[in-house]
Amino acid sequence: MKFITKLVLLLSVALVATACGNQADSSKEGNKDDKLTIWAWDESFNIKAANEAIKAYKEKENAKDAEFEVVTMAQEDIVQKLNTSLASGNTEGLPEIVLIEDYRIQGYLTSFPDAFEPLTDIVNEKDFSSYKFGINKVGKEIYGVPFDSGVAGLFYRTDYLEEAGYQAKDLQNITWETYINIAKDVKVKTGKNMIGLNPSDLGTLRIMMQSAGGWYLEDGKTVNIANNNILKEALKVYVELMNSGTVTLTPDWNAGVSAINNGEVASSPTGAWYAGTIMGSEEQSGKWAISEIPRLGAVKDSINASSIGGGGWYVLKGVGNSETAKDFLKETFASDADLMNTLAKEIGLVSTLNAAAETENYQSPSEFFSNEKIFQNFSTWSGEVPVVNYGLHTYAIENIFTEYVQKIVDGADINKTLEDAQKEIEASI
Amino acid sequence: MRIKPQLTKKSTGRYFYLPSVIIISVLVFFPMLQALMMSFQTGSPVDMQFSGLSNYIRMLSDATFKKAALNTSLYLLVQVPVMILLSMVISVLLNQKNLKFRSFFRIAIFLPCITSLVSYSLIMKSLFMESGLVNTILLNSHLISEPIMWLTHPVWAKVLIIISITWRWTGYNMIFFLSGLQNIDPSIYEAADIDGTTEWQKFFRITVPMLKPIILFTTITSTIGTLQLFDEVVNITNGGPANATMTLSQYIYNLSYKFTPNFGYAAAISFVIVIAIVLLTMIQMKLGGDRDD
Repeated sequence: MKFITKLVLLLSVALVATACGNQADSSKEGNKDDKLTIWAWDESFNIKAANEAIKAYKEKENAKDAEFEVVTMAQEDIVQKLNTSLASGNTEGLPEIVLIEDYRIQGYLTSFPDAFEPLTDIVNEKDFSSYKFGINKVGKEIYGVPFDSGVAGLFYRTDYLEEAGYQAKDLQNITWETYINIAKDVKVKTGKNMIGLNPSDLGTLRIMMQSAGGWYLEDGKTVNIANNNILKEALKVYVELMNSGTVTLTPDWNAGVSAINNGEVASSPTGAWYAGTIMGSEEQSGKWAISEIPRLGAVKDSINASSIGGGGWYVLKGVGNSETAKDFLKETFASDADLMNTLAKEIGLVSTLNAAAETENYQSPSEFFSNEKIFQNFSTWSGEVPVVNYGLHTYAIENIFTEYVQKIVDGADINKTLEDAQKEIEASI
Repeated sequence: MRIKPQLTKKSTGRYFYLPSVIIISVLVFFPMLQALMMSFQTGSPVDMQFSGLSNYIRMLSDATFKKAALNTSLYLLVQVPVMILLSMVISVLLNQKNLKFRSFFRIAIFLPCITSLVSYSLIMKSLFMESGLVNTILLNSHLISEPIMWLTHPVWAKVLIIISITWRWTGYNMIFFLSGLQNIDPSIYEAADIDGTTEWQKFFRITVPMLKPIILFTTITSTIGTLQLFDEVVNITNGGPANATMTLSQYIYNLSYKFTPNFGYAAAISFVIVIAIVLLTMIQMKLGGDRDD
């Protein structure tokens, strides 16, 4: 009996000790060294951008000695680390600056309201594409420096389309309905599929919705599915496309890339950031061109500009030198058009910084893409993208919604299915 | 004068196991209790409120949860019996004394178990792609006229997951059966031979009953493994197409890390898995357990 009492006492002491330990940790101020740490994903894109920005920053007189550490991690890992650290209230080991995808940031800003440093004093809303501020603000306060534009474009193979009898002007400012007709022609005349789609990834549907300023949520909060006309029209087009016999089903990202690089598909309506991937197959140089993303013919507000993906830089509050971090972002991504000029050339970045459109590389034609001024085009379209607040739950909604989309593709009634989807999604978020 | 010994035999033992008791309590039991508490809470991770059983009630109407649970139990019901039977048959074949290259076959069948889950998943994925090796072979041997969409068709994707885990784990269970077979007294088979039994009778009437404890053990570990299935699904199909292959573990992961975090609900689902494992294990013990052990 006495032993048991002792044991219980010892255990409770141990528990109290660990509990106190936690509290002591969370009151500490993150990393204590002077190094600025940056987390981002994609070695050949975001990481290169961060390194170029550091190079540019170090040329400034007062910043020569600044020390940086750029950490490459998969986006999933960054998300996981942020979620666990922020949830436990322990900022130790977190970076000063982190790249976060546009679709996710509202989730962070809402779930962890005090975790990010406001950047209103270093970011001027007028300097950037306006749609970027649909998601990085809470009230009037800006929390992120807009980075790459997810502006969408229709990438297509000029050789395949010419074989099917289409010229560049036939693809300008088209509707999705026309796109599907062209797809069928291409299939008949060249035997090639028009597009590679992953049935678990609704990116194309997102492009369609944003082109008309629509989303799964109203104002980023209320679930808006059953009576969402934009979504309904977009779905009709999506289902028609899926059933048109012109789609290569790709189970994942890499399969999609190889369908493009092997010349299996004739086009890809996607974000500007895909240009680099397409350019990965050098022998296709000159065979690609980019035109405006199609719009929804049945929706009046739908325009030939939309967005997919894209991200922004955020500063974590209470971690290391947030002042230096802010100064770094202010001098680089928030204002430096020359840096954007370099990045256009180095990594094919389409910046959301308006001033970038005036720089040299934005004015020069791209040999790979039929000598068009692709950066200038993207930059123009980027300015037109309708503003949408994605709200918190884009990925959670899509996870459920893909099932319903699958049902509609397989022939289920669209109105009835959307009502079911509305109910289930409302219950789960 | 006699000095009273400081440590009696009994208490010495206690001090030896005390550190492990403390460490296990702090590192295992305490977090488990915290997770249990968390499963009764809801809200954003920094501001969680007690909400009674709301997370558990939510599961009843959550179609994604039901789908994940259904997928998981389908894997369990199809894959575990097939695998146990397969590994038992293989182990009996490989136990034949007159078989040539015995150890070569044993090693070959056990090898999948030492490959990493992620890398074998990726290899499976590339083998079963639309233009992958499996489809090419099937097409060229005219067994099918169109490639099978292993990765993007809801049913075939499930079949692929089952094929993959069976390939990976059959050899592992075979090892247990092989060692179980070594413990069966050869004289039992000799007696059966004298009585004039067939090979099949020997297998079902002698081998299977004698292997009962091993069958119980492999069934329980395989059940637990299948209920926690995660790596294969994430790497081969990522739960797709349209959640057709998603498992409970992947749903927990998604709720915590892929979506806007909802740790309370995720914790509640993991407790459902714990309860399911305990119940299934109890049933299996009851059905297969030997009272004399």
